[in-house]
Amino acid sequence: MRASSRLTAIAYGTAGLAGFFALWQVIGHYQLAGLSWPPLTAVLQYLFDPDRHALFLRAIDATLRSTVAGYLIGALTGIALASTAYTLPVLQRGSDRFAAVVNSIPSIALGPIFLILISREATPAGVASIHVFFIVYVSMSSGLASASQAHEDLFSALGSSRLKRFLRLNFPSAVPAIVSGLRLSWPAALIGAIIGEWFGAPRGIGILIINSMQNFQIDLLWSAVLLAAMVSLFFFGLLTLAERAAYRRFR
Amino acid sequence: MAAAALDGTGSADRRNIVIRFFVLNWGILLILVAWEGWVAANDFNPIVMPSPQGVFMDMVSNPGIYVENTSVTLFVAAVGLAGGLAVGTGLAILTWFSPVLSGLVSPTAVLFSSVPVVSLIPIIARILGYNMATEIAIVVIITFFPSFVFTTAGLRDLPHGSQDLFSVLGASRRATLRRLALPAAVPNMAIALRLAAAHAILAAMIAEFLMGTTGLGYLFAVTKQEFLTERAFGTSVVATAISVAAFLATSHLERRIRARFT
Repeated sequence: MRASSRLTAIAYGTAGLAGFFALWQVIGHYQLAGLSWPPLTAVLQYLFDPDRHALFLRAIDATLRSTVAGYLIGALTGIALASTAYTLPVLQRGSDRFAAVVNSIPSIALGPIFLILISREATPAGVASIHVFFIVYVSMSSGLASASQAHEDLFSALGSSRLKRFLRLNFPSAVPAIVSGLRLSWPAALIGAIIGEWFGAPRGIGILIINSMQNFQIDLLWSAVLLAAMVSLFFFGLLTLAERAAYRRFR
Repeated sequence: MAAAALDGTGSADRRNIVIRFFVLNWGILLILVAWEGWVAANDFNPIVMPSPQGVFMDMVSNPGIYVENTSVTLFVAAVGLAGGLAVGTGLAILTWFSPVLSGLVSPTAVLFSSVPVVSLIPIIARILGYNMATEIAIVVIITFFPSFVFTTAGLRDLPHGSQDLFSVLGASRRATLRRLALPAAVPNMAIALRLAAAHAILAAMIAEFLMGTTGLGYLFAVTKQEFLTERAFGTSVVATAISVAAFLATSHLERRIRARFT
């Protein structure tokens, strides 16, 4: 019964996705949305043309490097600030507000700041790190607060130090929340890297997107966006698997 | 009460207010001090990197430009947000009625919410043309995803056994929606509103920035190009302020709704 309902769900989902692609193809083929909407087959042909492999691989390489660097920096600062604020409660409310304000700086305005602060090449990673920082900070903060009161009481009754309680109780109980935060912040990191690249990075998927938009290279524009979506989904899928494993272990 | 304010308790109150202010805002003060110190230490030309004072002076002496562009951006973000929430909630309700539709649409929508949707903005701009209607459409599309995903989840996350009770008592599908599923989904809709409101302002600004039409994103792009750096930073400060205000307001709303509906 359950297996068959799961099969039905997969069948419907696949049909829905196929319908989406078919719609894309039909609109493009009959130019229902004008010349700026190419059929799916044209985009795929453009994207997988062997002549352009080098171009796209170079762009993926550059964007992934920035995204991963920003992802790691953002995640570590998010975890560090949330832990500090948790162990020194007087800082908590101020650091919540600090995180919210930093996150609210529009990413297009972050670009020029990082351009001056660090360099053209490092700007995408910088913007990505800010996006990740906020999501990880918020999930880490709520994860640290999620340990049950009974456990907290047990640790105090047995006279454990603050540090020990943090390491043995609060941090482990925050792991599922951190892992969810890490999964959700991946697309945000990629967006940050792409926007960061708009401010004069030498190469990357964001550069392909912005240049092809301005030069009316429609096939290239759609290919680059499709590429960004595929890269995002691939790593998002991996992180979802990692999340499942972490949930099994820590909850 | 007035007498209490006149004698000793007044200064204690004042000291408490100052402490409260520092406890809440130490992070922001730290940013401002670091910014000012960094500009002073490097002796930057205001064209490269203005100081907080310079930015503040530009904002105070040209309020008209800021107010005009801010209201345009807020208008685009608000109309688009309302549209995105309406379409997202509407589609979520439709998929609630029809398991077939839900099976067809939901996986694709979930897939979309985990790809960088901001990268769709250049495509939408190319298809619909460079104007304000396009900006609104972009905000609608970007805010649609959180709204649809969270409302769908909320409509299905019903109190245990309540669904059975409704079917035993012979409630129609429509009555079940109105009396059970929609009220149960309200807290999730509040989360969607908080996420979508932040996305709305960001999406509006990126669209304006890329297309160069009107609003804060446009003001930022133009002033940056013309090396009016103080105004470009002023624009960022205003955009940050309205995003923070939207975040605080929607978080507050979410807490109140959660308290009322759960």
